[in-house]
Formats: sequence, C-alpha cells, structure tokens
Amino acid sequence: MSVKMQQPPQLADERTLSSRAAVGTVFGLEMRQRLRGRAWYVMLAVWFVVIGAVFLLATATMGTITGIGAVLFDLVVGFVLFFGLLVAPGLSANAVNGDRAAGTLAILQVTLLTPGQLLAGKWLASWVGSLAFLLLSAPFIFWALALGGVPASEAFVSLGMLALELGLVCAIGVGVSSIANRPLFSIVATYMLVALLALGTLITFGLSTALVLEEAEVTTSYYNHTEPMPAVGPDGELPAVDPSKCVTETIRQPVPHTERITWLLAANPFVVVADAVPYARSGSGDFAYVAGGTRPPGVMESISQQVRTLQAGPDLEVTCEESLGEPRDVGRGSPIWPLGLVLQSLLAGGLLLLGYRRLRTPAGRLAQGTRIA
Amino acid sequence: MTNEFGGIVVHAAARSFGSVQAVRHIDFEAPPGEVTALIGPNGSGKTTLLLILASLLAVDSGSVRVGGIDPVADPQGVRRLVGWMPDSLGRWDSLSALEVLTTTGALYGMRPEERTARAHELLETVSLTEYTRQPARVLSRGQQQRLSLARALIHNPQVLLLDEPASGLDPGSRVDLRTLLRTLAAAGKTVVVSSHVLSELDEIADRAVFISRGESVRSQTLDEAGNQVRRYNIQAEPMSALAAELSGHGMRFEERGDSRRLEYQVMLDSTQQAAWLLRTLVLADVAVTAFAPAGGALEETYMSLDTDRR
Ligand SMILES: Nc1ncnc2c1ncn2[C@@H]1O[C@H](COP(=O)(O)OP(=O)(O)OP(=O)(O)O)[C@@H](O)[C@H]1O
Ligand SMILES: [Mg+2]
Repeated sequence: MSVKMQQPPQLADERTLSSRAAVGTVFGLEMRQRLRGRAWYVMLAVWFVVIGAVFLLATATMGTITGIGAVLFDLVVGFVLFFGLLVAPGLSANAVNGDRAAGTLAILQVTLLTPGQLLAGKWLASWVGSLAFLLLSAPFIFWALALGGVPASEAFVSLGMLALELGLVCAIGVGVSSIANRPLFSIVATYMLVALLALGTLITFGLSTALVLEEAEVTTSYYNHTEPMPAVGPDGELPAVDPSKCVTETIRQPVPHTERITWLLAANPFVVVADAVPYARSGSGDFAYVAGGTRPPGVMESISQQVRTLQAGPDLEVTCEESLGEPRDVGRGSPIWPLGLVLQSLLAGGLLLLGYRRLRTPAGRLAQGTRIA
Repeated sequence: MTNEFGGIVVHAAARSFGSVQAVRHIDFEAPPGEVTALIGPNGSGKTTLLLILASLLAVDSGSVRVGGIDPVADPQGVRRLVGWMPDSLGRWDSLSALEVLTTTGALYGMRPEERTARAHELLETVSLTEYTRQPARVLSRGQQQRLSLARALIHNPQVLLLDEPASGLDPGSRVDLRTLLRTLAAAGKTVVVSSHVLSELDEIADRAVFISRGESVRSQTLDEAGNQVRRYNIQAEPMSALAAELSGHGMRFEERGDSRRLEYQVMLDSTQQAAWLLRTLVLADVAVTAFAPAGGALEETYMSLDTDRR
C-alpha cells in the first residue's frame, strides 16, 4: 500500500444524498447483481417455456371455437398472473434479510441512505425484475390478440393490472424480508401471504356465507309444462316456450346475503385483475357478443361476472327466463377492484412500515438473535 | 485535546441485548490526531461500542458525541464524518472492486467524477489496482480486508472506526496499514482501532482503552504504559550465578515454565530500574545472554488487568 492521501475537492459536510440518487443507487446495485447472476435468466427461460407450452396446448385443444382469441387471451392472462404470483416472492422476499445474511446491510445502513430509500430501491428492483417476466409473456398475449376478438383496451388494462399486482406482491415480499430474520423463512411467509390472498380469501368467503344466511321471501317463477317438451323442434330450433305457462310462487327460505362479504374476495389478485378489465360484453348472457359472432366467456371474464353477481346479493325474484338457466342481469354492477387494490396496498404498506421500523438506525431494540455486524 | 468539534467522547454508555449486557459502563475518549486502541477479550463489547459510535446502535443510557454530534439525535451528521470498517466481511459478490467503492461513494453523496477518482486513488493505497475490474468474490481474505478498509475511507471521513483491521493481513500489509493509520492521524483524523494483536498496537496507538465485560477498566497513553511496572525475562550462563546475584539484591524472581529454555522473570518498576539491574549483573560478572521485557507495554497492562474471556 503506498500511502497517498489527497483532500477531495468536495467538503464532507456539504455532501447530501438526494432521494433520487439514493434509490437509483440501490436499484442499480440490485439490478447489477441480478443481471450478473444466472438464477434470473434460468427462471426467465423456464417461464417462457411454461407459458409457451400452456399457450400452444390451449391453441391445439380449442383451435376451432369462434372467438378463440378472447378465450386464449383470458387464459394467458390468468396463467401469467398465477406464475407471476409464484415468481414475485422469489425475487423480492430475500431482498433485505439476504443482505443482512451476506453482511452487506450494515454497510448500506452506515451511509447516508435512509431506510425508506433502501426499501424503495429494493422494491423497485424486484418489481422491475418481475416485470421482465411479464414482458416475456407479451408475445403470447399479442398472439392471442392477433387471433381476434379482444379489443386492445382490454389487453392493455390486463397488462397494466398484472404489472400492478406484481408490484404489490413485490412490496409484500420486500416488507416481509425486512421483518423476518432468515431469507428462507421470509420467502415461505411471503408465499403464505400470497396463498392467503389467492386461496384464503375464497375459503374465508365460502365459510362466511353461513354467517350471512337470513330468512327472506323469495319469489320463484318457472314454466309449468304439462306435456314433455321435445329436445329440439322440427326445424332444428330450440322449442319455443309458452309464456302463459310461467307460474310464480313465493316461499320463505334462508338466503345468503353475499353482498355483505364480497369484499373478502376483492383482495384476491385474480378478482382484481379480472374485475378491472372492461370486457366487451353486451348485457348479460353466457355468450358475449363480439364482432363476428358470439363467444364463450374466458376464465377471467367469468370470475368478474360471478363476483359481480355475488356483489349484487341474493336473487329474491327469480324470473322464468332465469329458471331456464339464463343468468340474471346484474349489469356491470359497481367495480370491486379498487377496493381490492386498497386492501392489498394496506397489507403491503403495513408490512413495509414494520420493516421500516426494523431498519431504522441507531437501532433501539433488536430482534432476538440479530446482529448488526 | 478532545472538544465539541472533534474526536469522540463517550460517557457512561450502556447497551444490552435482551438479558445480555454487552456494554455496561464505558467511558471512552478518542482525540483527533491520535490513534486510539480498543483492547479487550472476546465478547467484551468492542464491536458493540464501535457500532454505537458508527450510529448503527442506540445506547440505552449514557452520552455519546462523535465530532460533537449525538448519533441518536443526528445520525446523518455522524455518518458524514465517520468511516466504519466492520469486522465481518460483507461483500457484493458480483461487483468489481472499483464498483464496490464507487457505489459506497455514491451513497455518501459524492459526485460521479469525484468518487471514481477517489476510488482509483484508494485502490492504489491498498494495493488492489490489479483487481480494479475483478469481481469482489475472487479476492482473498486479506485482499477483501483491504478493500473493506478502502471502502471505509471512500468519503475521506474525519473519524475512522476500524474493527480488527489487521486480521488476515500479511506482514507487509500490516506495515502498510500502520503507516496509513499514522498518516491519517497526522492529518488530524480521529482513528479508533480494535485489535487483539497488542504488539502491533504498541507501535500504532497513541493511547489505549481497555474493556472487560462491557466496562472500560483502564485508559492509558502509550507513554504511561511504557513507564509502568513490567516483567523482564533474564537468561544467563549459568543460571545459578544469576539466581545468586538476584537473591543477593533481595529481588524476587520466578522461573518461567512456558518457555523452551530456562528463564527467570522479575518485576521492575521502571526503565531506570531495568538499566540499573542490567548494569549490576554485568558488573558482577554474570554472563547475561538475554535481558528483555516479557511483552509489549500494552500486553503488560492487559495481563495485569486479569480480564476474563466470556
Ligand atoms: N445483537 C446481539 N444480540 C445479543 N447479544 C449480543 C448481540 N451483539 C453482541 N452481543 C453480545 O454482547 C457481547 C459483546 O459482543 P461484541 O461483539 O461487542 O464483543 P467483541 O468485544 O467485539 O468481541 P470479539 O473480540 O470477539 O470481536 C457478547 O457477549 C455478545 O454475545
Ligand atoms: Mg468484535
């Protein structure tokens, strides 16, 4: 070591670290490490193959249906969300405690970097890392789009919502990683939280329906045909029903007031994405009318329909048409996805806040068994 | 000496982790322009004290001033002043040595040209220019230690906190480290070094603070340490003549059991007394073959403190 010490031109006490520079530096640090490692590329490759396989399989099995583009599109969006929920925790949930384990967290903490800037940088890096997966699935989304039947607005809203959901899951992961000590534990905990959102909301909803059962007068109508009806009329058309045969009766029975608990479902990422998309539907019906004919609703579209039906509450007046299987017209109802985003943001924000408290220095209480250095 | 505007003043600092009292009561002063050694057995609280000074840990009670600033009230102010080298080797595996330094510089708010220039300069200082573009993971332990030292210096801090900087360094690098620390102290910086290599500290440090079980038990300057009661080892041919002469002057001596050759150890109050004894022995025709302090000045204090490891 040759000893040469020069006074740097800038005086030490003049130096300040702007938030942009701080977040940018942490982001750059994270991205550089990710881009130079192999794990991320392997994950990207696996992702591409899996989404591609799902897409091709779906095209092969449903190739003849009209409006296939829309169904495929919905399927791809659903799968991308599903795999995204699997990938995002892996990218985010060891962001902070991974550094702690490697001994580099204290080195960052001792600089002018604040905990908020550290969390922001880490979150941004994991989000951008997971957006790469979304980008990689774009070819399939646009392929489905090219097959026709999906308005571009639907595609862009879907992509936007997917990106937003990935961001929220990354925020949850980064939050958990700054609370929990061990990377393994925080990754598992983040998966649990994501499972809680995706499955736990469904289960809780299912179990809670029993709690909202209430006696109510339900008017039910049905066609009372005395003679058996032929399955198909002579001209190949469905036989016409006789409106005069429609009978109505009213009974008291317990009905679930689902409108009171539908908010539980709002926190589900699938519901949020499905519900935010402006489907090109014309009113109600199993078959939506799109340019060039009718098509069956896709997975995501049916999720949205069902949630809005639940949101509308019990059907206290079943008409004759509905008794034949035609769904009830609840219109588009009011959107539930903003509520979902709020619930998810509250969860992510709460976790990040706890994480922020943990990262504040000079540290007061330390979690059992952690050393700063 | 130490005032509001420079150096470190710690008064009655205490910090515990749950039931473990890592720091019970530490009084500590490190004036600018001097190298202060922090000495104590494993688990005595040295690293904890350095973390407190680096504004990473808060004290439970007591007062801490680094460059006149309270780290709890104004951590950012302290961080601008302080360069901290941890004892654990944390590293960003895939970053090159240069990037490690420039990234840290960026987080201290240094401008791009400034931090790049400074990084190159420091890589030269710690003799790592060959590894400028190499990923940090290929560096050997000693090289990483040197990179860690450079990282602590990147923003030209007024106060340097080094936690066992010499561990893992080869003899040449230790000499370089010593020179570097003396240069920094001469430039008016406050340097605090914790280390277990006391002979090394004898040469680097101006003063030393001894810590045992979380308490500062002794604080002395190296001049004081040099003038205290010390043990001397003496060998002669034959040893019986030496024994007779020592007894003749009423001096107590004991046989050292931990050496390969037979040696007598005596306690001497000062260097003057040592000179007198040697002259007396030589004049009495005792063939003295070895006459030397048993250890360094700091080692002497350390042993006399009878500190325990935890
Ligand atoms: N975060 C923590 N949680 C619990 N105990 C801790 C923590 N940090 C330190 N300790 C305890 O405090 C004591 C002092 O630790 P410290 O690391 O300061 O020792 P040290 O003097 O640096 O030792 P060494 O010479 O081995 O580096 C030890 O007994 C240690 O177990
Ligand atoms: Mg230590």
